[in-house]
Amino acid sequence: MSVLYTCKGTSELAQQVCDELGVLASSVIGVDMELKTEASLRHARTLLAANQFGQAAAVAHSLFCMCYKFNLQVENATVLLLLAEIHKKSGNAVLGLPYALASLSFCQSFNLDLLKASATLTLAELWLSLGSNHVERASILVQGALPMILGHGGLELHARAYIAEAKCYLSNPSFSVFENSEVVLDPLRQATEELEVLEYHELAAEAFYLMAMVFDKLGQLEEREEAAASFMKHIKALENPQDEQDPLFNIH
Amino acid sequence: METDEVEQGLPFQLQFDKPVPAQIKIAEWNPEKDLLAMVTEDSKILLHRFNWQRLWTISPGRCITSLCWRPDGKAIAVGLEDGTVSLHDVENGKLLRSMKSHTVAVVCLNWEEDGQLIGDSGNILAYEDRTSRFFPPAPRVPRMPGLVSGDTGFMDDSEDSFGELSNSSHQRFNILCSGDKDGSICFSIFGMFPIGKINIHEFSVSTLLMDNQVTYRLLNASICKVALSKDLCHLIVTCSGELVEESVESRDRHIFGHGLLGLHSLVLDTSIFWKRKNELHQVAQQASNIEDLTEVIRASLSVMCKQWSDAMHMFHEKFDSLSSLIIDHGLDSSPQEEFLSLLCGARTSPPLHQFLVSSLGEVGLKRVSKAVSNAGKELQFIVLDHLQPAAEIIGFRMGELRGLSRWRTRYKVIGLDERLIDNATEKAGMLLVQVERFMMILSSAVQQFSNFFSWLLKCIKLLMSETSDQLLPFNSELVIIFLRFLYDQDPVRQLLELSEVDHNIEIELETMQKIKELVQLGGFSDSEYLQRTMAKEFQQMESSFKEAFAMPFTTVSEKILCEDLLPMFPCPSSPFNVPMSISYYKDISQAVSTYQTCQHRFIDYIAFKVPDESFSDVANCIGIARGFMHDSSSVKKGYTSLEAVLLSVPDGYHCVDLSLYKESQMVLLLNETTSTSESSGSAHMLVVQVTDLPFVSVPRSTNLNYWKLHELKNFYLFEDSITYLQMENEKVRSIPHSAIAPLAVSASRGVACVFAARKRALVYILEEDEDEATDAE
Repeated sequence: MSVLYTCKGTSELAQQVCDELGVLASSVIGVDMELKTEASLRHARTLLAANQFGQAAAVAHSLFCMCYKFNLQVENATVLLLLAEIHKKSGNAVLGLPYALASLSFCQSFNLDLLKASATLTLAELWLSLGSNHVERASILVQGALPMILGHGGLELHARAYIAEAKCYLSNPSFSVFENSEVVLDPLRQATEELEVLEYHELAAEAFYLMAMVFDKLGQLEEREEAAASFMKHIKALENPQDEQDPLFNIH
Repeated sequence: METDEVEQGLPFQLQFDKPVPAQIKIAEWNPEKDLLAMVTEDSKILLHRFNWQRLWTISPGRCITSLCWRPDGKAIAVGLEDGTVSLHDVENGKLLRSMKSHTVAVVCLNWEEDGQLIGDSGNILAYEDRTSRFFPPAPRVPRMPGLVSGDTGFMDDSEDSFGELSNSSHQRFNILCSGDKDGSICFSIFGMFPIGKINIHEFSVSTLLMDNQVTYRLLNASICKVALSKDLCHLIVTCSGELVEESVESRDRHIFGHGLLGLHSLVLDTSIFWKRKNELHQVAQQASNIEDLTEVIRASLSVMCKQWSDAMHMFHEKFDSLSSLIIDHGLDSSPQEEFLSLLCGARTSPPLHQFLVSSLGEVGLKRVSKAVSNAGKELQFIVLDHLQPAAEIIGFRMGELRGLSRWRTRYKVIGLDERLIDNATEKAGMLLVQVERFMMILSSAVQQFSNFFSWLLKCIKLLMSETSDQLLPFNSELVIIFLRFLYDQDPVRQLLELSEVDHNIEIELETMQKIKELVQLGGFSDSEYLQRTMAKEFQQMESSFKEAFAMPFTTVSEKILCEDLLPMFPCPSSPFNVPMSISYYKDISQAVSTYQTCQHRFIDYIAFKVPDESFSDVANCIGIARGFMHDSSSVKKGYTSLEAVLLSVPDGYHCVDLSLYKESQMVLLLNETTSTSESSGSAHMLVVQVTDLPFVSVPRSTNLNYWKLHELKNFYLFEDSITYLQMENEKVRSIPHSAIAPLAVSASRGVACVFAARKRALVYILEEDEDEATDAE
């Protein structure tokens, strides 16, 4: 449920759910580890969604220490990936890189293929945010992870991968939209389809933004307007989550 | 067996001169090892080592029309008269796989490998096959009971190499092309996964001739040779046939009563294989593994079906006598009722008594019981060792393919369709559920049978008034269920057998409801699947796979286009006897600058003997054309256009066979025509450096109605400069026999094998000269 709230941007409610989840666990150290890690993982995610990076990182760090202490290797990899994402979102791509790499090596040694693919994707996103000199590396990473992500990953991961793929092309200085626009537009289209299902406004807005930019370059004004309108819609939904028709508000 | 003629400077060391058992019609050297595969006139394949030790002989039973080696030298592809292409293991000659991709004789084969190893170029798509990390080695085909090993043919001892064939060999991407008598060319990846089929009759080449759009098309064409370039971008095809003009315009000045009948050569654009090789490689790897595993499932099902029905047959044979006994005694009841009344403690009726004590007896019962329980065990083994793991791996591999198919920008191009693959994945999942259910039904059936038999045994003991304390206990409720549901029905067989009538398996409403609810949680959208039998499900799965893999096949086929067509020379007689060789060499002249582009690293050479009847005024000539594949598109970019040379063979000799060798050299085999004496006649083998020949550029005329060689000949006659072969200037080795085709030359190994008319084979080392060898000794 907290995932749902996180996506909706209603962080207070998500926080509440997380706390409730944490209370369910036993207070004895070393018992109910799964529930405890899950609760604090969700906590960190919620903080991240609320853009409280410092707190999110602190929670994630303590979680990592706990996982390390109790030898929870899978969770270790997950938490490291989360730390990488926190740094990515906070704009400290360089800080994120070691976490992503550490997570990757954990995944590799424990055969966590899907997690590895998503760590690879995060790594690629980090490289991408470091500028266009790293595009080649990023695109190799994205394309290596894509079959795995598309085959076994969830919708959000799909969409992120599609967007990253499109971004790789767009930030490549030697790529020309005019020559092969479908290479960019097709992934973006697929991403938006999946993000609409998820109602993940933040990413959807990003995808539509990129789409509108491409259409603008191509001079296809009608399509551009359409994409821009969708972008607008998602941005509004993002800024103003108090939607009365939202069924979630009627639960509480 | 060295000959004692150690003359000064005699080129090509003779390795030996050995008799061969029969006349040889095809001979090919292994590209990796010193092995020579030969096909005799009576269609046997012989494999000899370099020391002429024979490794194996096989005879496929049908006429062999072509042969080639896999580039890694670990398998031989053989083309048969009936259109089958089969792969044989180099170790023992076992048939690894056979595919009937053509309808008529496969006349030529060419297997070309992509030079670079996937992944070692730091390539983007270094995508591993994860199956081996998650699954134990793939299951094999179960053995049919009652067959001695060896009878089962190819699915038996060759398993090790078979498994190896489908795994390690997939390191490098390779494509096998096969051309047939009717002008069809098939392409398959690894020689296993069919990826395209084209027919050269469907191609047409149009040119502008005096502002007229003229289209040419081939009629009655038959492929002579196919050669894929090393970068897989081009395919040169030579074929015999009639080139006709298909005019669009009515005012046609060039009306030919008949087309150009003779030898033509085409360049096909196969660059899809290069551009999409990573994608094709992955799809082919998954798909060919999936096909192997469906074979495993098919065989498992048939073995299981046979074993179970054998056991059931035995059971019914024994127990059917009861119903006839009942009728004989004039009773109006069924065996089940009789058994029930026995179970309920009523008096044993005379027929049942007679049946149990005399016709079945304790021994008979034990035998039936043993047969049924053995069959049950056997079936469980097959499911656990073969069927279930195969179904699981198929599901996994299909899942991987689904991941690929969703990457539309890359995989749509080669025709991997997301919807079809999704469907196939779902079917694979359903089969897994079916296998699970089958196991449940099987084990309950086996248990019920054994319960029933132990009850009967107790009854017999009682009737015979013997002690019955050491018998297995039984459950009378289960006996009742057995009599009601299993005595004259066979749910196990029902699942295994594919009957014409679709009998649905009854599923409780509650279960159906649950399945429908599962759809919400990502269950199978087709909720009817439990009503199908396992055999039916397997059939549906297979057809969904076929549908899914047919898509890449057609998509890639459509992308193979004809780039250019060149009429070579008229040839009224059968063109199959024309010695011809096609090869690609590194283009030294411009190799440096254009290294990145795949297109121009190689230059093609087509060498052929011009048949004497082709041109009246030029006899005894050899033609060599080069740069054909660059002709149409890249001339503008400044690349070598079509060039050709005519090489006249000296009088007193005629060309038996020729073969292009490495570094632009050509090996010629010439026979002396003037051998009047009965004894042997003699022949000469020589190596000619082709690049030293004075090639002339052939003008690119828009008129295709003209033999290219004719132009060349006219040019030469005009200039009076036909190149004469100067035998004394070349490396020549005389052979003390009159030679016949074929001449087998291996560019990678540097050896040549010449066959003499009197069933002898002579092997020469082309790299070493005789005198050098003696110096070394």
